[in-house]
Formats: sequence, structure tokens, C-alpha cells
Amino acid sequence: MSVARKGLPGGSYKPLSDEAIGKIHRTAMRIIEEIGFQVNSQDAQQYFEQIGATIDKEKRIVRLPQKTVIELIEKAPSEFTLCGSDEKNDIHLGGSRVYTGTGGTALYVYEPDRDEKRPASLNDLKKIAKLVDGLDNIHLLLLPTYPNELPVDQIDVNRFYAGLNNTGKHIMGGVYTLEGIKNVIKMAEIIAGGKQQLRKRPIISMIACSMSPLKLDEHYADMMIAIAKSGIPLVCPAEPLCGATSPITIAGNVLMQTVDSLMGVMLTQIVNPGTPVIFGSVATSTDLRDLKYLAGSVEMGLTNAGSAQMAQFYKLPFYATGGMTDSKVLDSQSGYESAITNLLCALAGSNFIHDSAGLMEFAMTVCLEKYVIDNEILGMVMRAVDGIKVDDETLAFDLIKQVGPAGNFVTAKHTRRHMRSEHYEPTLTDRNLREDWEAEGGKTTWERAKVKVKQIIENNDYGLPEEVKNKVLSEIPDIVH
Amino acid sequence: MSEDILSLIKENVVQGRINQEDEGMEEGMEGKPAVTELVQKALDDGIDVQKIINDGLTSGMDIVGQKFEKKEYYIPDMLASAEAVGAAMEMLEPHLAKNGIEPKGKIIVATVKGDLHDIGKNIVTILLRGAGYLVKDLGNDIDDQTIVDAVKKEQPQFLGLSALLTSTMTHMRAIVQSLKDAGIRDKVKVIVGGAPVSEQFAKDIGADGFGADGFQAVSVIDSLNS
Repeated sequence: MSVARKGLPGGSYKPLSDEAIGKIHRTAMRIIEEIGFQVNSQDAQQYFEQIGATIDKEKRIVRLPQKTVIELIEKAPSEFTLCGSDEKNDIHLGGSRVYTGTGGTALYVYEPDRDEKRPASLNDLKKIAKLVDGLDNIHLLLLPTYPNELPVDQIDVNRFYAGLNNTGKHIMGGVYTLEGIKNVIKMAEIIAGGKQQLRKRPIISMIACSMSPLKLDEHYADMMIAIAKSGIPLVCPAEPLCGATSPITIAGNVLMQTVDSLMGVMLTQIVNPGTPVIFGSVATSTDLRDLKYLAGSVEMGLTNAGSAQMAQFYKLPFYATGGMTDSKVLDSQSGYESAITNLLCALAGSNFIHDSAGLMEFAMTVCLEKYVIDNEILGMVMRAVDGIKVDDETLAFDLIKQVGPAGNFVTAKHTRRHMRSEHYEPTLTDRNLREDWEAEGGKTTWERAKVKVKQIIENNDYGLPEEVKNKVLSEIPDIVH
Repeated sequence: MSEDILSLIKENVVQGRINQEDEGMEEGMEGKPAVTELVQKALDDGIDVQKIINDGLTSGMDIVGQKFEKKEYYIPDMLASAEAVGAAMEMLEPHLAKNGIEPKGKIIVATVKGDLHDIGKNIVTILLRGAGYLVKDLGNDIDDQTIVDAVKKEQPQFLGLSALLTSTMTHMRAIVQSLKDAGIRDKVKVIVGGAPVSEQFAKDIGADGFGADGFQAVSVIDSLNS
């Protein structure tokens, strides 16, 4: 049987030594204690004040002793489950278990057959949700696009509804307004079957960022507080950029990401101890010729792998960023950048690799065909995570003895028993001889992906049950149906 | 003698060295006099201030611009050079006034409301100061009215607006309109820039110019100023 791999333990790749991890940790604690961080939300400042932080009110700087920082981190759960509407889609975050998902939030959609990019709409989001539902190596749908046609106060409910109504996988998403957060949670409660049911099996989670370096923005801190109070899982990612919002060095970047994400983690644990929170990294390098955010650099893979080790050190579930490209088209660059960054994150044991499929062009654009291509990359990556199993069965001494010198293994039962699980079975890769490939139309990777996009979307009949849908539409405002 | 020191100033601008502790691009520069020490020496030697600016600082910055264009220089290289020029201009300011030399023009810059990204605007500010302009930086996340009020009060020749987000760049259009409504649109030239901004967008909203990067911002302002 062919196997869909998810949640396998990674961690064989360790760019940081134990000594390096300790040094980064001690420096991080020194930053929080000596330099402090800026908190621009009054409410957040009060929360930090409650636990005895030193606060410079004029400069809005919060400083905390190491002991308090560690106590707060220890309040956060090391493991929890992001649930799918269907249990088979559950994601058990923690340890070094590896899962993948989409990411965003992109403003454009690239259409390779017209070689054109255009603004993303709500309809694109629905289509991507349907597509991701049918791609086995993408385990979670992080709402990947921003529907340009909607006003900001209708964005949150419509994005989450587009996800929840088109895939049974867990839905994670960035949020834009406090009112939106409230309505999205209310909608998820209806779908989950009640307030308690949603907390027990959270089918949604949210993202609220901190600002690198060392700053909690007012709006985002207020959203972090609101989400933490609600008991819904959340991610507190930080986005330090080498040479722009962090030191140019990889170590300096991992350090900055650690501190900046911990600011959010700590706030959530003061607001509501035990809140399921994910330590997050969107760290990468910049193009120092014009300070563009780079989405496909090898350093991005390296920093995120390092941060995965920091997350394991703090025993916090980890949200990594990898799998994107800066290419504008579906060419070699789009393949190798996505593959290298995904592979480094996965081998380091990142619990959830976000952005791992569909994104290109500095994370500003998504492409349906690229989801299918990246699904293949992720299948290969997860096979690499799976590693090499060594035991009597895999070494097969008895079989080798039986086959003997100059024999072959093609007809062995052992071969059939293991061939589908031991080797990744491609779903997109072309392994034809040239004549056969030509006979099948001589299609390039993205052309083959295009065929699959159509098949998967057309065959997906996922949808919320009618009565649930009607309840959502009647109780939640502004859903464009 | 005067040529030697001017070419040394130029060379050190290209190296991006403000003072003698700075490392510069090449090995072994540390400890040698840099732009500020050299400018002080030029002043002590009685070299003409305008000559220091033209043959030392500006011609050094021209080379930096070319190197940036050729992708030999990164932004941090360019900023180091511009900061060295800025530091030199500060030293020269009292001498400029004494000799009756005016700054090239007055510019107000701001990152618009809702946008916390100020790196781009800061780069342009440093480059403009390096190019001899008097720049007033209002900061980031500045609401439309504050910007319009500042234009009324300071009466600059130029207003530079920056945005990184597609969601905030719409403020640029509103600000141009507010300047019209206040009857001062023809008193100030509006230059826009930032990642999502394009030449076409600048035209659409009725701005006077667009800078794709820091150097282009300076050259656009120079050409509108002449």
C-alpha cells in the first residue's frame, strides 16, 4: 500500500549544537532582561505589569527577569492537536513531528497558461481549499489569499467560511479585526457543534504577529489577547529579516526570532495560562540591493531549521516557514527553492511547515498548479524525513541467501511487500522514456499539474451539511454566498 | 595639495568611512583619516567649501550610485557612504551660510497612515541629505491631515510620501487631494515611493514624481528642482 506520510519525527538535521542552543537561549534572556521590548497596547502593558515586569511607561519598554520568562514558557502546552473537521486530518503538534500546510497571505494569483497574474478573489480561495483537500501531502489549510473585492470588515468571516465549507482539513488563518475574530469563533462553534466542542476539538486556529525587532504592535497585541482569551489555538510568529530587522548573521536572526516570538508566547500565557500557542518563525533574509523580503533563499531554510531546534529546546510547538520561491513563473528556480527550504525545515523536525505549498514571488502570489507541484515535493521531503529503517526484515539476509549470487529481486514477495512504502510513489513526476513522454503530449511539469488541478477540484464534493450551512448563514453576518 | 585631499575625500565617500575607526570596504583602512577628518583638514587648509562638496562629496556619491546601479554595492554600502556625506554636510553647514550658499531645497518626508515600515523612507532621507537638501522627516504612520498641516507650516518645495503596503498606499491619493482642497497643491511637488508604488500609480493619483529606489528619488527631485 502506498502511504501518505504525516507527523513523522524529524530532527536528524541539527544546524545548532547543544552548546549553540544554550548560548542563543542565554542571549535571548539577556535581551528580555536588559534591553526589553516595546509594547504598544495599553492592555498588553497592563498584563505584563500584573506579573511584575519593569515598565518604562514613556518609552513603552517592558523588561522581565529570566525566571519569569521561563515560568511563562512552561505554562504553555508542549503538545496539542489542531483538529480537522474529519478526525483523520488531525495534526498532533509537538516533539519533532513534521506536518505541512499552505500559507499566505497572498494578494495575487498567477495563471501559468496565460502567463499572467491578477488580484486574488474569494472564489480563488474556495478553489484552493477544494484543491488542498485533495492533496495528501498538504496536511492543513492556512488561508492563503486575501479577497481583494471585500471590505476589511468582511474579510475574516468570509475567509474562514471559504475554508471550512470546502475542506475537512484544519483551518488556520491570519485575522484582521477584533469583530472578525469574534464572528469567526462563533461560526466555528456552530460548525463544531457548540462552545465546548470547539475548545475540545479546535477546527480553527489563528495567527497574530509580533514586529521584529522587539516590538508588539498595538493592533496585533490586542488581537493576541482576544484570541488567547477565547481559548482558540494561536501562532505568534516573528519575521526578522537578516540585515534589515535582525543582525545580518544567521545566529543573530535565530536569536531575534526567538525573542520576538517569545514576546507573544508570554503575553498569551499571562492572559490565559495554558493557551495552546505555537512558537513561530517567518524569518528569512533580504535582498540587500533593495530590501525585498526573500522567500526562496537557502538561508531561510537554515534559520528556520535553527529555530525548530530552539522550539524543541523550549518544548513549544513550532511553526516554520519554508517551501516558497521568488520566481515569477513555474521554472527550475521555483522548484529548487521550494524543495531546498522545505527539506531543511522538515529534516530539522519543524512541527508545522507553513507556506510549504503554492506560494511564489516573495509570498505575494499563489498558483494553483504550484500547489500540485509542491505536493509532490512535500511527498519526497516526507520520505526523506522517514529515514532508513534498519532491521532483519529490511536487511533481508534470508532473502539474499535465497536469491543468491547473480539472481534478482524482481519476483521476490519481499519486494512487493515493501515497494510502495519504502519508496515514494510520484503523483506528478515524469519518469517516462522520451518516446512515451512525447506520445503523451510532451507535457511539462506545470502542464501535468494543470490537469490534476482540474480533476481534483471537479471531483471534490466536500461541503458543510445543509443545516449547519443554513445556521451559519443566518447567524453570522456578511458571508458572501 | 588641494586635489590630493579632495580625491581622498571622494575615495573615502566611496569606501563609506565617516571617521578613522571605520573599516570601509577594503582591508587595512582602519585608523586612516576618513571623510570627517579629511573635510576638517580641507577646511583648515582653506579649501573652498563649494569645491569640497562638488569635487569631494558629490563626485564620491556619483561613483557610489554607479556601483549600486551595477549591483556591486548593496544598500548598507550606499547608506554608509550617504551617512559619511551627511556628516560632512553637517560640518560644512555653518560655512555654507557664511558664504551665502543655500541648501538645494527643502523636503518633507513621511510614511503614510497605517504603515509602520520606515526603512525605505529613512534611506531616501539619508540620500537627500547627502545630496544637499534640507529634509524634515515626520516619521511613520502619519495621518493625512498632519502631513498637509506640515506642508502649510513648513512650505517645502517637495513632499516625499512612502508606503510599503498596498492597503496604505491609497492614502497617497487622499493626501494629493487634500493638498488640492487646501489650495496648496501648486506650492509643493509630491514624490511617491515604496514597494507597491509604480510610475503609473504616481501618474494616476496626480503626483509629480516617482522614485523606484533611493538614488532615483534623488535624481527625480534634482530634475524637478532645476
